[in-house]
Amino acid sequence: MQEEKILSDEEIEILQEIMNISFGKSAADLADVIDTHVVLSVPFIRIMQVPELPTYFREHVKEYKTISIVEQKFWGRFKGDALLVFSSGAGRELINMLQHDTRPGFESDPIDILERETLMEVGNILIGACVGKLAELLRDVVTYTPPMVVVERDYSNAVTESRYDPDNTAIVLKTDFCFDEGDVSGFLFLITSNDSVTWMKEALRLFIEQYE
Amino acid sequence: MIFNQIFDAINIGLVILDRDLKVQKWNRWMEVHSGIPEAKIIGSSIFETFPNLDNPKFHRSCKSVFSFGNFCFFSQKLHHYLFPFKSTSYFESLFEYMQQSCAIGPLRDENNVIQNLFIYVQDVTEVAVYEHKLVEMNLKDGLTGIFNRRYMDVKIREEFGRCKRYGGELSIIMFDIDFFKKVNDVYGHQCGDFILKSVSSRISSIIRNVDYLFRYGGEEFCCMLPETKLDGALQAADRFRTAIMEMESNFDNSIIKITVSLGVAGLDDCISSAETFIKKADEALYRAKREGRNRVMQMSLENA
Repeated sequence: MQEEKILSDEEIEILQEIMNISFGKSAADLADVIDTHVVLSVPFIRIMQVPELPTYFREHVKEYKTISIVEQKFWGRFKGDALLVFSSGAGRELINMLQHDTRPGFESDPIDILERETLMEVGNILIGACVGKLAELLRDVVTYTPPMVVVERDYSNAVTESRYDPDNTAIVLKTDFCFDEGDVSGFLFLITSNDSVTWMKEALRLFIEQYE
Repeated sequence: MIFNQIFDAINIGLVILDRDLKVQKWNRWMEVHSGIPEAKIIGSSIFETFPNLDNPKFHRSCKSVFSFGNFCFFSQKLHHYLFPFKSTSYFESLFEYMQQSCAIGPLRDENNVIQNLFIYVQDVTEVAVYEHKLVEMNLKDGLTGIFNRRYMDVKIREEFGRCKRYGGELSIIMFDIDFFKKVNDVYGHQCGDFILKSVSSRISSIIRNVDYLFRYGGEEFCCMLPETKLDGALQAADRFRTAIMEMESNFDNSIIKITVSLGVAGLDDCISSAETFIKKADEALYRAKREGRNRVMQMSLENA
């Protein structure tokens, strides 16, 4: 019941529309930056209590054998956690696609470092594109922590509720993405909380005002 | 004013570029390490002075920062450095250039429009050297400098698994110095160590780049030959044998001559695990010992 209060249906609809526009722009700019087209699905918004997060997350990634995750915190007035989940084997596909021509210096450096770094680079850009464009439309400026990467793990415990304040409400913005070339796909989850809600309501109102 | 002082005092390289990637600021740290004064580089394209940056990843990152306002990170592990500066630490033999951890981020004007980007550069050479040493210690035998037993277990299991999954040939040669105990008893353990090193470096010099030489333990060695059938491995083993037989080691003015016995195994369908594979070669090696030493034996082909 509390879920209804945090954002009204109308607000969710506006947010959905804003995400649609901003992800459309991201996709266009992404093509320019990484030279390949990224298809971002119509974003989906769910509001839930933090303890429900792990189950929700597991439901979405269960068809993947293993996953790689790039996580980055962003903070402005709009703040939260971005989790980019790649399907298995994505790292290697991306290495080929981006044609990293330089092998790392030492012979003994294993390929998984390259894989890690590639996921980090692409993840960083993808998250930056989506969060950045969304913030821009809402007239906010965000900064980011360096991305963290988990490569090719079993998904079951990827998101535990202990990572977030259990009393908080999570606003989960989810989009599916896939690359035009190569077999790379996954999900982007933006998890934000109560803290951003007051600002977000105001930002949504201002956004709609310019069309009225 | 205060920030300008910090800009120059901080022990990190700071560079500001405009949208055309021309240098707008170049702090003291960058002046010191590049040897290029700010006045000289300001206003010029960064690629004029650092053509190595004219690569897809750097362009991609700058575009991304200007388009999305995010940060792009250049870790030492993958990139080693953005700016090729001479290393100032005492570890110059390992790295020709200073190892750097760098990031690029946006700088906005009063209307929140990204007009410039900054690059920061941290010197992480020392950490990189320590890491490299740790990795080396973990993989290599301290005395001989060839790969150690731990790495052998990992590597052979890995290669074995790869061949079983995707097909391909794989052979291993186990070999052992004949009468090594006598060398130790007659000439002392220092001489024994010297012989171990000589054998390692002699064999290292005749194997291919793709082969791996491990110290299995004591005076026993193992060589893994990827993409090599049993026949080829037998030939290689015989080259090892001849090379060691012809080798003359001079220790304290004594010329020491030694021989080795070798056992060779090639991967076939009957061998179900890396452990069995090693055991096969080991058994062949012991037959070579029993049959008089200084010879090559191949694994028994029945009932693996």
